[in-house]
Amino acid sequence: MLNTLKLCFHITRRNWIVYKKDLIANISPTVADPALVLVSLGLGLGSFITNVEGMSYMQFLAPGLTVATALFTSFFESSYGFYVRMTYENVYKAMLTTPIGVKEVVIGEMIWVGLKGAVMAVGVAIVLALFGLMSNPWLIPALASVGFLVALPCGAMGLLSSALVNNINQFQTVYSFLIAPLYFLSGIFFPIPQMHLAVRIVAEFFPLIHGVRLAQSLFWERGIAEAFMYSGSILVVQSAILCILAYTQIKKKLIA
Amino acid sequence: MIIAKSLKKSFGDFTAVKGIDLHVQKGECFGLLGPNGAGKSTFIGMTYGTVKRSDGHLSVFGFDPDTHSREIKSRLGVVTQDNALDESLTVFENMLIYCAFIGVPSNERKKRIDDLLEYMNLSHKRDALIQTLSGGMKRRLVFVRALLGKPELLILDEPTTGLDPAVRHLLWGKVRELHQGGTTIVLTTHYMHEAEVLCDRLVIMNQGNVAAEGSPQNMIHKHAPGYVGIFNIEDKNKLESIVAGNSGLDYHADTSGLYLRTNSLAALTAFHSDHGLQPLQIRPSNLEDVFLKLTGQELSSDA
Repeated sequence: MLNTLKLCFHITRRNWIVYKKDLIANISPTVADPALVLVSLGLGLGSFITNVEGMSYMQFLAPGLTVATALFTSFFESSYGFYVRMTYENVYKAMLTTPIGVKEVVIGEMIWVGLKGAVMAVGVAIVLALFGLMSNPWLIPALASVGFLVALPCGAMGLLSSALVNNINQFQTVYSFLIAPLYFLSGIFFPIPQMHLAVRIVAEFFPLIHGVRLAQSLFWERGIAEAFMYSGSILVVQSAILCILAYTQIKKKLIA
Repeated sequence: MIIAKSLKKSFGDFTAVKGIDLHVQKGECFGLLGPNGAGKSTFIGMTYGTVKRSDGHLSVFGFDPDTHSREIKSRLGVVTQDNALDESLTVFENMLIYCAFIGVPSNERKKRIDDLLEYMNLSHKRDALIQTLSGGMKRRLVFVRALLGKPELLILDEPTTGLDPAVRHLLWGKVRELHQGGTTIVLTTHYMHEAEVLCDRLVIMNQGNVAAEGSPQNMIHKHAPGYVGIFNIEDKNKLESIVAGNSGLDYHADTSGLYLRTNSLAALTAFHSDHGLQPLQIRPSNLEDVFLKLTGQELSSDA
């Protein structure tokens, strides 16, 4: 068990060593994208929308952006990133000749995307707090848990798609029909109750809406305990289910 | 060290390994020779658990690879067919990551890497990025990687495919040294010469079966003794009419040339004086001829 964890950690560490080699290129989309959304939608569109649930549109938008960052960073890492490592770079073929097994590969990758999600969510939250969009900046560290809890299931969805696609282009379909709808229909851009009932019900089964609720509770400092009890536990359950699914499918890919 | 009995592997309808029996002894250099698709890599994958067998028995160091792959993998090193090095990292960084994977104690890592880089003549590239290395250097580095754990069993999966002769000879020398040092070696290759040079014992695999087994010299002696004359394609009609009248001759024609095998050198040289046919080349029989004889096809077909 200890050995397994050690090996998982070495895989996480390997990803970090490779990632930091090209830090600027790797980190820029995660910083630039939320900034762009904040400026274009928050300032631009926000000048027409003066009151959303009793606050400015910028304030409404802010928490969702931290969660969107965790979604994108984890999904892209475990879809395109993982797929390239698996198919083009043959990283796992070489790893599997060492005491590392598929279980360690999957857990190590999940720890990696989880940590990345946590760090990115905190990073974005710090910037947003500097703009005065967070009522209590002391809650920023708690956003690490939100980033982690969102990145796990979203990363597992990425791994799952890595196992199921036949070529790298098919990720675009996954993006268009799964990731983009999650992004736009999970309460980041407008309040959840305004969505059609069917969309609301379906959205509950996906991780993003729960992450948004958690982030909103922290940014607006209201209903934190309830949010973590409800949405937090749902995210844990979703993570567990999706990670197990991802493991069984990745195993089929790596072990013939 | 490796015992396989009626070992089978199917992928859907396709059976890659059709019930083979193999026994690799401790300390020997054992070769698996055969064309692409013969089942060599499938067999290799089964020995350390990245391919699950469909049927039969397999044990490595006395363990079943399907259930105890970690125990097995901690005692072997593999030179994989693909280099699978991290291109954006340096030589040293790549090896450091692997030391962690295989559990080399942290205070020994630096020395072990430096010693092996020295051994493989790569010390001067220690801090170079992988993407700046030549194909031969990368291959040598994969050898370093396979040796980091001081393996009892070294698996070489087509170690010299695509390399120039100089690197190939350097690697052969290293493999021989390791073998003399007591390391058990399993080598897959589709270069007959490589197998002849390195292996104590080998099997020729073809379409998932073991076609023949033995030491290279014994196999040549048993299945294709003597000499081979290679004749100009333009002499085909003439040569075939001579062969037709002499059932004792072993003749084979394909797109690469006309091959005639005889037990004695004199019988081949006599072709010039007797029939006015001069062979382009005369050479002793080798494993390729054994393969040809046993399977009726070129070793390199589908390659």
